Amino acid sequence: MPSPCYQEVFDNRTLHFTLVLHCRCAERPCYFVFTNSVSSCSYGNSVVEMKIDGKILAHFQLCNSPVDKEGYLYKKGERNTSYQKRWFVLKANLLFYKERPNDSDVAGVIILEGCSVQLCESEEQFAFSLVWSGELGLRTYKFAAEDQPSQESWIRAVLVANHGYITVLVMDLAKQYKEARKAVSGYPSQQTCVGPNMEKTNHSLTWLKTGASTFLQYPGSGIGARHCSSTNQMLKAPPISSTSANKRSPNLWPKRNANVAPINGPAPPQGDWSVIGSFSELHEDFGKEVKELIAAWSRRGKEDVQEEDLIDFG
Amino acid sequence: MRFNEKEMISLSRQPSEKTAELGMRGPKKGDVVKKRLVKLVVNFLFYFRTDEEEPQGALLLEQCRVEREDRQVFSVAFLDEGERKYLFECDSEEQCLEWMESIIQASYEVMRKNLIFYRTEIHRLTGKDPLEQYGIEDETRFQVTSGLPLIPKDN
Repeated sequence: MPSPCYQEVFDNRTLHFTLVLHCRCAERPCYFVFTNSVSSCSYGNSVVEMKIDGKILAHFQLCNSPVDKEGYLYKKGERNTSYQKRWFVLKANLLFYKERPNDSDVAGVIILEGCSVQLCESEEQFAFSLVWSGELGLRTYKFAAEDQPSQESWIRAVLVANHGYITVLVMDLAKQYKEARKAVSGYPSQQTCVGPNMEKTNHSLTWLKTGASTFLQYPGSGIGARHCSSTNQMLKAPPISSTSANKRSPNLWPKRNANVAPINGPAPPQGDWSVIGSFSELHEDFGKEVKELIAAWSRRGKEDVQEEDLIDFG
Repeated sequence: MRFNEKEMISLSRQPSEKTAELGMRGPKKGDVVKKRLVKLVVNFLFYFRTDEEEPQGALLLEQCRVEREDRQVFSVAFLDEGERKYLFECDSEEQCLEWMESIIQASYEVMRKNLIFYRTEIHRLTGKDPLEQYGIEDETRFQVTSGLPLIPKDN
């Protein structure tokens, strides 16, 4: 590989010094940018790091798949530190945002994987933040809702938005469905088998249980190694057995449409597991934690009543 | 569209059981097949140039059609007419089928549909709503009527 060359760039908009490393690899030049601010990450044209197919994202935002929550939130800017009012659309594990509800252009998207939700220390009322930790540096998105019910509603919505949550929930229901069918058909419910996948599944459920209490954190509490390890576990893909439980269609090359539910019911998730107990506890924990945190926070707020300036959202 | 790039890169580093070197061809005219390390994490397909730590790109696996193109080749098509199509060449028929299945099952919306199916069926069979025990029966996310037909259809 030819030796890289360096270029120092001063951006008088952000007042950042940037070191740009030009490197020609086999296919095309690529640029690495190091700035003097750990939390910043350039999106501009001068940086080519990772591409995301924006057309797919834009289409998903516009299509008629379910909207899990939408509404106005104030978002703290990444460079400009004032809060800006934006219209947010939560679909699946993606939080899209744009200036107005009817804008066709989406300004951005936040992928809600690997983050914890925190109530923040903030001069804004009804604030909360999404916090990532990890080897690439701490990153926080700060939001403020318009009132307490909205704040609580958004926190709940974001907490259950991640892919792992619905994955485990579906596995649980699949098992309940299987048992319900057996019960109805008159066969006694079989004892849950301890198969080769059991350990892995219990393991992934254990993280959910311990991980749940790290999702909501009091401001100032460390997001240390414990959170990191539960985050890593959370992002582990569910085990997929190589011995498929599904029969292949006799057609040579059948079309499979990811959008369409199968006629006879969904393909059962592979493997066999008993998960009910822990999931039930998980949800009790979630509900309690949200209520306790918000109650504690409101009490604290009342004690510290001060005359505060109105937030300038202009 | 801006996105939380650093966090996506971190996501791409998580262990995944679905990681393999495949031949990958992009959706544009003139794109050719290139060897890429393809990795499935949650509902994203990341792809890396050989020996690079950071992913070259990512595809959201929602609203897509997965089709068999050849014995060892499948495609993933996006947008309304499926006009944005990525092609993947595998080493074997088995690998091809496994990847197709994994990609379909990774979709959040597919899981939601499965969940709604199970919820409806369990309620029908037992008289109980299985989400009640978890206190999430009112979550909009899991509503039976969230724009989806109750009777699964096939194209």
